Amino acid sequence: MSVMEYNGGSVIAMVGKDCVAIASDLRLGNQALGITSNFQRVFPVTNRLYIGLPGLGTDVTTLRERFRYRVNMYTIKEERDIQPETFAHLVSSTLYEHRFGPYFIEPVIAGLSKAPSGGFKPFIAATDLIGCLNFAKDFVVAGTASAKLFGVAEGLWEPDLEPEDLFETISQTLLNAVDRDAFSGWGAVVHVITKDQVVTRTLKGRMD
Amino acid sequence: MASADGGAYSYSLTVFSPSGKLVQIEHALAAVSQGTTSLGIKASNGIVIATEKKSSSILIDDSMIEKVAVICPNIGIVYSGMGPDFRVLIARARKSAQAYWKVYGEYPPTKVLTQEIATVMQQATQSGGVRPFGVSLLVAGWDIHRGPSLYQVDPSGSFWAWKASAIGKNMINAKTFLEKRYNDDISLEDAIHTALLTLKEGFEGQMTEKTIEIGVITVPTIEELEAGKEGGESGRPRPTFRKLTEEEVKDYLAL
Amino acid sequence: MNSLIQRYAGSSAASQQRRNVSTVDDDDEFSDAMWGSEAGFGSLAKGVPSFMVPSVPDPAAFLRLHTDDHADPSCKIKIQHGTTTLAFRFQGGVIVAVDSRATAGSYVASGTVKKVIEINPYLLGTMAGGAADCQYWETYLGMHCRLHELRNRERISVSAASKYLSNLVYSYKGMGLSMGTMICGWDKTGPALFYVDSDGTRLKGDLFSVGSGSTFAYGVLDQGYRWDLTDEEAQELGRRSIYAAGHRDAFSGNTCNLYHVKEHGWDFIGNYDITTLHYDGPGNVSGSPGHGYGYEIRVEGQTSANPPEVVAQA
Repeated sequence: MSVMEYNGGSVIAMVGKDCVAIASDLRLGNQALGITSNFQRVFPVTNRLYIGLPGLGTDVTTLRERFRYRVNMYTIKEERDIQPETFAHLVSSTLYEHRFGPYFIEPVIAGLSKAPSGGFKPFIAATDLIGCLNFAKDFVVAGTASAKLFGVAEGLWEPDLEPEDLFETISQTLLNAVDRDAFSGWGAVVHVITKDQVVTRTLKGRMD
Repeated sequence: MASADGGAYSYSLTVFSPSGKLVQIEHALAAVSQGTTSLGIKASNGIVIATEKKSSSILIDDSMIEKVAVICPNIGIVYSGMGPDFRVLIARARKSAQAYWKVYGEYPPTKVLTQEIATVMQQATQSGGVRPFGVSLLVAGWDIHRGPSLYQVDPSGSFWAWKASAIGKNMINAKTFLEKRYNDDISLEDAIHTALLTLKEGFEGQMTEKTIEIGVITVPTIEELEAGKEGGESGRPRPTFRKLTEEEVKDYLAL
Repeated sequence: MNSLIQRYAGSSAASQQRRNVSTVDDDDEFSDAMWGSEAGFGSLAKGVPSFMVPSVPDPAAFLRLHTDDHADPSCKIKIQHGTTTLAFRFQGGVIVAVDSRATAGSYVASGTVKKVIEINPYLLGTMAGGAADCQYWETYLGMHCRLHELRNRERISVSAASKYLSNLVYSYKGMGLSMGTMICGWDKTGPALFYVDSDGTRLKGDLFSVGSGSTFAYGVLDQGYRWDLTDEEAQELGRRSIYAAGHRDAFSGNTCNLYHVKEHGWDFIGNYDITTLHYDGPGNVSGSPGHGYGYEIRVEGQTSANPPEVVAQA
């Protein structure tokens, strides 16, 4: 029995043209037994930054609160929104603080960072459960369906997708990958982040 | 009892006098105003901080004296007052900057670091068994959020942002001088010259590259920032704060 | 004489192995099996098929080391485990319903597995545990049922067929066979149902469910089961039970295959997608509730979160 597979669930993030998307399934299980099909594990950090927390259910809640606390303290102290790069380092150092008794979560981060010229630049990253950062230019995956997500994403992703096409790509990638994973599925949620808005859609998925 | 020196209240750090003063802090400020003059000027494209470096004996190897200190690649500090106290604060500030880097993967904004130092200095006004720091600081830094900023921190732990300020022995005169000379779109080059002229006002003895220390913030261009984000050629961004070499100081003095 | 005694004495796995290995040795260098003329079922003439075994002192222990038995999911050879199968006897015959998911660890290896093995036109076997074990031995059982027919000029009873299988797998006990099966059919006694597993258990009964999703299936089955169910009600109960398991159990799902054994033999009723059952129901078939089986769909407008419309009071 693996703790990382105890509750199931998967998250994926993708880069598009001046936009990013992050998506997750909605299953929370107790090993093979499906418990609920509306478990949220993707949360907003700022207006243009989201974090997905696949892994052990109890740690999803705990880490979410921990990051909320640390980001709120940052925002008040520095009088500005935290940037995705900075937040990724915050996530990494928070996880490494627990190197010898880790949270069983492999976070995925997606957002738009402010460029020095004033525009916005897509940013995605993922870490392992003790905070090893992985910055990617295309997509990052995590959770019980990560191997399957890698495969499908490798086949479907292409550079410079517009927001609507990125939505279609990430949705199909997630839906088809979790259909090959026993511990993920039961519906999905997708967030597409552009400079002006975040579009959130809940998807119907296979219910087995 | 209410004598000129503070009387019964003058030795207790943490007890207010009837007039609402903490006399030890006032004494600390007095120590600062005996220190050598330091000043800072914020220009449109950077900041200059400068101080005079006077040694009490010609036998002292003044190349080893450092009064302008680099805290991290984007922040530098100069002081007036007690050298040993400054050294302690520098060590604390550098540690604080590295701790911030460890958590966030970048160096702190000027305001955050200034706040950290100010907190250390404030704690010395409220803790048992310590005395306040006998220094005032001028903190010059650059960050993406606020751009160039210049802060002054006092022994009480108060801090303010300045366009230009002076601390130490001739601060009143120096400030008056700066008020006359300052304008909002002064360039860094002009600011450096103004800094030297201001120091010259109250300078005792010969002003040379050996008796002057200068640090500057250079505001990076957008192109430099974009390149820095990608890692640049050296793999790390160019520092925005640096100390001028003796040769550079010599050149500025010659002009 | 000594060799005869040695050959048939003892019932341990090791002695069984010795017996089988020596059976192979007794064959000609080029036996019929090598040419495939016996469809891989080995030396049928000698009664028991024979297998190559690893040449180590304790083949069973060797196999256990490398095979997925519940205790060690990280082993190299993975055998299909997750499943839901059910069968029940009622007034109108036997209903057999199964899911179609095959998993290897958390990987869904297939969603279109046929877990009902059509042994012959009036005998069905279900598949849970090792897919290969079930397929092989139930096909082998089919051959012997046919031989029985030829020898005795009458169909084998479900009882006899299931006992043949049960005895067969018992002789391999301890060697890693993994099967939990239900043998279903119609014989002189009417509808008949037996549960047989690789431990050697053989049970006669009215209602069984086997596999990781069996608890979920039992839940629905138990509250809906009666002997005097109509054919339509019984088929709907089978479908609904497999849906419940496919929905809740991570290792069951994809589709439901439904069979109905009657006096004339078995009928294949249909193949139903679990997700379609969830959202839309089984469609225009007899016994259909006319809507999806899913909770959200079933209780639409009836929960506190989504209350029914208030009907205007007179």
